[in-house]
Amino acid sequence: MEEQMAKIDLSNISHTYNPLDPKPTYALNPFSMTWENGKRYAILGPSGCGKTTMLNIVSGLVRPSKGEILFDEIPVTDLKTEDRNIAQVFQFPVIYNTMTVYDNLAFPLRCREFTKEKIEERVKSVSDTLNLSSFLNSPARKLTADQKQLISLGRGLVREDVAAVLMDEPLTVIDPDLKFRLRRNLKEINEQYKTTLVYVTHDQNEAMTFAENIIVMDQGEIVQVGLPKDLFEKPKTTFVGYFIGSPAMNIFHSTVSSDHEVKINDTTIKTNSNLGNLKDKNVKLGIRSEFIELAEKEKSNTVKIKLTRVEDFGNFKLLTGKMGDLVIKSKVEREKPIPDGELNLYFPPEKCCVYSDEKLV
Amino acid sequence: MSKLYTFLKYFFITFWTVFVVAPFLWAVSTSFKDFQSVNSKVTYIPWLDFEPTLEGWRVLIKSPAKGGVDIVEPYFNSIFVTCTASLISIVLGTLAAYALSRFTFKAGFVRNNDITFFFISQRIMPPIVLSIPFFIFLSTIGLLDSLLGLVVVYIVLLMPIAVWIMVDFFNRVPKELDETALIDGCNPYQAFYKVVLPNSIPGLIVAGMFCIIFGWIDFFFAFILTFTEVQLLPVKVVALNSSITPWWSLSASALVSVAPLIIVAFIVERYLSKGNLSGALK
Repeated sequence: MEEQMAKIDLSNISHTYNPLDPKPTYALNPFSMTWENGKRYAILGPSGCGKTTMLNIVSGLVRPSKGEILFDEIPVTDLKTEDRNIAQVFQFPVIYNTMTVYDNLAFPLRCREFTKEKIEERVKSVSDTLNLSSFLNSPARKLTADQKQLISLGRGLVREDVAAVLMDEPLTVIDPDLKFRLRRNLKEINEQYKTTLVYVTHDQNEAMTFAENIIVMDQGEIVQVGLPKDLFEKPKTTFVGYFIGSPAMNIFHSTVSSDHEVKINDTTIKTNSNLGNLKDKNVKLGIRSEFIELAEKEKSNTVKIKLTRVEDFGNFKLLTGKMGDLVIKSKVEREKPIPDGELNLYFPPEKCCVYSDEKLV
Repeated sequence: MSKLYTFLKYFFITFWTVFVVAPFLWAVSTSFKDFQSVNSKVTYIPWLDFEPTLEGWRVLIKSPAKGGVDIVEPYFNSIFVTCTASLISIVLGTLAAYALSRFTFKAGFVRNNDITFFFISQRIMPPIVLSIPFFIFLSTIGLLDSLLGLVVVYIVLLMPIAVWIMVDFFNRVPKELDETALIDGCNPYQAFYKVVLPNSIPGLIVAGMFCIIFGWIDFFFAFILTFTEVQLLPVKVVALNSSITPWWSLSASALVSVAPLIIVAFIVERYLSKGNLSGALK
């Protein structure tokens, strides 16, 4: 089989579901993006942020209100779904109830009139990967929900020539153990066949472990595209800070006091951001609870907090403390002794992110 | 308490069974009686109470010239009209229902739901309202008192049922199924007949059952739109009655009229009890 996977360009795409309204609400605000051939992408965002709309636009189930889609520089915006060479897996298993597992897996190939031998070879290889070999002759409707979802997944992977496999929260119904193994399988498939995989999820761990590139979306807007490390250490907006990481990023209202310093409730915190033209403005200071350190005594860049709660998660302890009415959370090693009452927390300047208008400075 | 409950449960089930089955038993026994055993005194048990005879059944297949009432021809007329009309209604109704379930129609203020309601509204009208228009319509196109005319009228009566049941059924088939078929490379027509239709067999069977029942039992239009050339079974059965009610042949004809529906019920029951009417694919 010839390699037919493609680079996918989304150019100035936007979409609204009520185009005739004088004031249409946009499910997707205008954006442009390129999905490179053979990479793994995760689209991450809360429910209703436009993730599924984006997938449906690529697969052709939804025609974008504006903009153009190109596969390898060839416009496909007006091409119908069945002519687009895209595989899509939905959140809930969709199987052809009246067919056997084998026929289910063979269906996409039969529709495209592959030879019998080719079909057999592909179905065998995919069913081996997904552990479905022993069920090939049973009726698909007799399988359990997660096996059914494997069939849906298999139908997506059975075609070698797809431009991309789009997956819309495909592992929701699958139990955690198998989930982990499948995610690794998907990674292997991607590395072996160089199939572009696009994976929609609202679970950050899934996105972080699966993808090379993560696209974070919120309310129809793409807020940040980047590697897991970037999203974690330098969230571009406070939304990404809240959304990625557990617990969410600590974010405090503060005022800029000098070129590199902000003030939270009279405590001055040094940062590495250049705040020259924001003097005296109200900004937000964000820092991951992972980066906050326990300090033995008061020094520069420490804040004094009153400890209100210590939660032991086994591999770490989560401290919750109050400074005035601000709540601060900090993750510390389990072995560290925690002094009672008041303690000092150190904010490393290179880990402090300053947000003006919710955007990273 | 639970004993009382069990007792009541069995009591009501028994009561209901007797209530439903007794008329049938009565009809079966009466169909083997003659004038004497019906009219002189109450009789129950064949050979002891009365001498069974096949006269009531023979009348049904004897030609009128020999003093019988031939219901064989009306019987086959009824089968032909019911099956043809049901089949056409199911085919057209299913296609209409699929379109109404999957595509969005707009014509002025009319939307999908309005179109569906328009179909169903045909059944809301009392049949008597339709009789005069149908009569004039059929006489204009020269189909009064003909099988074809009856088929046309029955399609009008049965298609709303098919549309109504199938719209509801298709609405419960997730649209992801069609979308998956498209992604797998079907065109919309293939997606319909290769994927959606095989999944809808339970719905089709139920819709078919209702069409057959409503077509088979219709007396009103069969009575109004036919005279001498063509007769359907219900009309013929009613016509059996005369100044001396022939209970024996009436019972026999009632039993043969109900027989096809009982067969249909047994076939359909398998699909109803399996619970795969739900159509959900999850």
